[in-house]
Amino acid sequence: MTSPTALTEDQIYHRCPPDKLSFETTETLEDLDQPLGQERVLRALEFGAGMAARGFNLFVLGPSGAGKNELVERFLAKHSSSQPVPPDWCHVYNFESSDKPRVLELPAGKGREFRKDMQELTNELKTAVPATFESEEYQARLQELQEEVARRQHQGLFEIQEEANRSNIAMITTQAGFTFAPMRDGEVIEPDEYKKFSDEEKELVESKVEDLQKKLQQAIQQIPRLRKEVRERIHALNEEMVQLTLGSPFGELREKWAGVPPVLEHLNTVRNDIVEHAEAFQDDGNGPPAGLLNRYRVNLMVDNACTEGAPVIYEDLPNHQHLAGQIEHRSHQGNLYTDFTLIKGGSLHRANGGYLIVDARRILTHPMAWESLKRVLFSGEIRIESLERLYGLVSTVSLQPEPIPVNVKVVLLGDRMLYYLLSHYDPDFLDLFKVEADFEDDVDRDDGSYELYARMIATMARSAKTRHLDRGAVARLIEHASRLASDQKKLTAHDRVLKDLLSEADHWAARSDSDLITDSHIQQAIDERDYRASRVRERSLEQIRRGVVMIDTSGDVTGQVNGLSVLRLGAVMFGQPTRITATARPGKGQVVDIEREVKLGGPIHSKAVMILSRFLANRYAPMSELSLSASLAFEQSYGGVEGDSASVAETCVLLSAISGVPLRQSLAVTGSMNQHGEVQAVGGVNEKIEGFFNVCKQAGDVDGQGILLPASNVEHLMLNTDVRTAVREGRFSIYPVRHINEAIALMTGMDPGEPDEDGAFPEGSFNRRVADRLAEFAEVGRKKDDNGDNGENGNGAKDDDQ
Amino acid sequence: MTSKPDTANQPAGRVLVLLDGSRLSLDALEAAADIAHARGAEVLGIFVEEVNLLRSAGYGWSREVGASSGQARPLDAARVHARMQALAEQARRSLSLAMARRGIPQDLKLCRGQVVSEVLNLASPGDLLVLGRVGWSGIPGARIGSTARALVLQAPGDVLLWTRSRPRPQGRVVVLLNHDQGANHRAVRVGADLALQYHQPLSVLVRTTDSDPQRITEDLLGYLQQEGIAARVRLLPMASASAAARALKEEGASQLVISRSCSLFTEPGADSLLMELNLPLTVTP
Repeated sequence: MTSPTALTEDQIYHRCPPDKLSFETTETLEDLDQPLGQERVLRALEFGAGMAARGFNLFVLGPSGAGKNELVERFLAKHSSSQPVPPDWCHVYNFESSDKPRVLELPAGKGREFRKDMQELTNELKTAVPATFESEEYQARLQELQEEVARRQHQGLFEIQEEANRSNIAMITTQAGFTFAPMRDGEVIEPDEYKKFSDEEKELVESKVEDLQKKLQQAIQQIPRLRKEVRERIHALNEEMVQLTLGSPFGELREKWAGVPPVLEHLNTVRNDIVEHAEAFQDDGNGPPAGLLNRYRVNLMVDNACTEGAPVIYEDLPNHQHLAGQIEHRSHQGNLYTDFTLIKGGSLHRANGGYLIVDARRILTHPMAWESLKRVLFSGEIRIESLERLYGLVSTVSLQPEPIPVNVKVVLLGDRMLYYLLSHYDPDFLDLFKVEADFEDDVDRDDGSYELYARMIATMARSAKTRHLDRGAVARLIEHASRLASDQKKLTAHDRVLKDLLSEADHWAARSDSDLITDSHIQQAIDERDYRASRVRERSLEQIRRGVVMIDTSGDVTGQVNGLSVLRLGAVMFGQPTRITATARPGKGQVVDIEREVKLGGPIHSKAVMILSRFLANRYAPMSELSLSASLAFEQSYGGVEGDSASVAETCVLLSAISGVPLRQSLAVTGSMNQHGEVQAVGGVNEKIEGFFNVCKQAGDVDGQGILLPASNVEHLMLNTDVRTAVREGRFSIYPVRHINEAIALMTGMDPGEPDEDGAFPEGSFNRRVADRLAEFAEVGRKKDDNGDNGENGNGAKDDDQ
Repeated sequence: MTSKPDTANQPAGRVLVLLDGSRLSLDALEAAADIAHARGAEVLGIFVEEVNLLRSAGYGWSREVGASSGQARPLDAARVHARMQALAEQARRSLSLAMARRGIPQDLKLCRGQVVSEVLNLASPGDLLVLGRVGWSGIPGARIGSTARALVLQAPGDVLLWTRSRPRPQGRVVVLLNHDQGANHRAVRVGADLALQYHQPLSVLVRTTDSDPQRITEDLLGYLQQEGIAARVRLLPMASASAAARALKEEGASQLVISRSCSLFTEPGADSLLMELNLPLTVTP
């Protein structure tokens, strides 16, 4: 078996040679029309935006800062420009049911005109109608009417009085009415004298009086009817006069709006209402009541006069009111009141016929907003209701505006986790958001992509208004983009990180009075960022330097190895070595994961330890009992361990503890391992290598130290200059390993040894020593069993599968 | 504004106020008290027990027909007497209360007979007679009662027909004249007194058919100047009563003074004029 050879400088860093770039500065580069490497998202957007069927709303998912919003807005602006402008929407007074304002649909841009027309009409009403009532014609006709009715009213009474007088009977006014009595010479006859009348005369008088009384009763009882009649006739007169006054303005309006039937219908209703309320326009010195005239106003809720194409609305505060609109109130002397003019539309109204972009996290954090959006999308209409009413907290009378039919395409922006959570927990979600537009985090790095990536950087620089970049700067940025992607064959597509870096580099270029951003400015920006975030890393290194945290970077020690771990604090990651130790003695085939026992180990770590314990049993005691009681621990680790990236290191240290063969402390190990001993890729290799390199550097000169990492991780390496220099100078080695045997060979300097046909390892090999040692353990175990000792566990448990 | 009239120094006539217990007569009482206070005149309240009513109640079969309801109820003498007494008592109380507040000497004359003749017996040419425009219910809708109508035509002195009108602080006292009548000066004089009392400006409207309005204006202005009265003079065409009513409305009239001999007053449309204007009206002989 040959030991793996250390990697060369070229293998641990994928350079971007400036000669691959055919420009001098980014100034000469054209803007990119479409984002680089986001074909999937663009196709999804194209499909979703053009799909007319209901429920095909979009969810654009990708990490925050990936530039989702900008991309979607840019795409939709272009896509919507060729689409028709949606209509205007107005609320008007409902004359049949005042608490249910009506809604009118008008062609785009006509809403303003209609509002203006109605305002002018109202102004005209204020003067024209009172003027009609002031006119000679009206006054004269009114008087005629009143006189006629008064005449009829009095006539009956006068006739009775006349009739009474003719019959020598007086009609006398009393405190409460009238009475009749016989009279002579204008005076009522004394009752005593009346007694002297003959019976015939008396009968004549009394029957006449009775007759008159009946007539009077009838006449008086006619009066309310007469009064009602006069009221009706005055009303009819008022209506007639107002009709005549309104003829001209309404005729003009009707002609103008002939093509919009809902407006014609509304005009008719308004006209009838004015006629009905004609009396209110009579001039009492204050003009018609404002409340009456307000009813003829128009609340233009959606005005598309200045909209080009379909609207694209981004709602940055997507709460219930901002989305679905609200009914506002005015305070007047401590009372709140509202009318249809206080209905305010929401972003769904404004986006109707177009697109609404909403941040998924924000809409989910506002009470009822998500539910409201879903309800609108399900029902296909917007119904304005206040939040307190939805919650049933108020029961006061309010408005219930007529709902508006809605045809809007909603584009939600959010991270992937949110999409998957919503898909899983909200049964409505996939019904309403059928189009998934998934952002790429990285783009492929090859010779063809350099030019495009450079154009993307140029576009970014222009939009961020930074200086232009020279070729070297772009090359350095491309290299850094690979490092950010942790892959030699990828470039990050993360918009925000690149933009921030550009802006920072621009800042340093400004500080050095440079007209262009050069590679040194990019490097300075990277270094400064790194330095700003280095406090915890520095403290960690200091602890190692002072020996508080024990790490050896030289010498050979049995049962001890340098593992590598990565810490993520906010947006920053850094690696650091961790000492892993192992002990081994005879037992019942048990490998104790101390981290797991104290609940500091995660499930993946436990899985890795189980895998390695099965690997041991399978390799060294395939046909017999594995007599081993071993333990593994991450020393000085107090915060928990997760992941399987230490399983190669754990295997090495365990085998060292069993065999008593010391391990090289100058090498650190990372990599996961399967049950066959094959080494598998892990994450964060760049940070891990640089972390160990820093520890070695501060322990003295870096000389002979190195790293073992999975061979499949080699293409993820984008290491910094310090490491590259040490590798070039042969002071630091990075070994790609494919199998645990390669790791054993490097760590011990011994041949691991392959088993022969009988499964026996060659004499003098590392594996032979392990096998022999385990055989010794088994022998000791058997003796103990013979002596009735059940071993340290005392439970007699066999080599269990756990 | 008007200047202080010379007549103010002459011994004033009485203010006679006709009380019948109706609400409007109580209002008229207050107005009379104000006028008497301004003039320093004494007040004589007149309460007439209408003999015709008393007699009608004496018939066993007589009925009272309600003015609003039209229902007929028995009418007996005892009830009518009791009502009369109660009204008389109320009139006495109201009169003494209204006058005591202003410190005006007063007396109440109780008579029995026919109202018009009893009042005419008591009134002399210098007296101002104040009464409500309508008395008890009267004919529904009528704006001037028969008593008021008779007294306006027959009273020897000025008659103020009081009505409950909307207060108009910015109103004017308006005198409506005929260019060819002889009693114009008295009407203007009464108007000037009212204007002074109510601190309101005076307007004189003259109805004319004359082709030479200049002459009329000069004549009137000459009188005003001589009496020291400031007034706005306007000429009206001799049109219908309702046209005159509108002119009064335009003028912002709050009180109207009119001479009995004014042609308008005798025209058939006079009632409608009075109906149209819900204003206190003073009629001069």
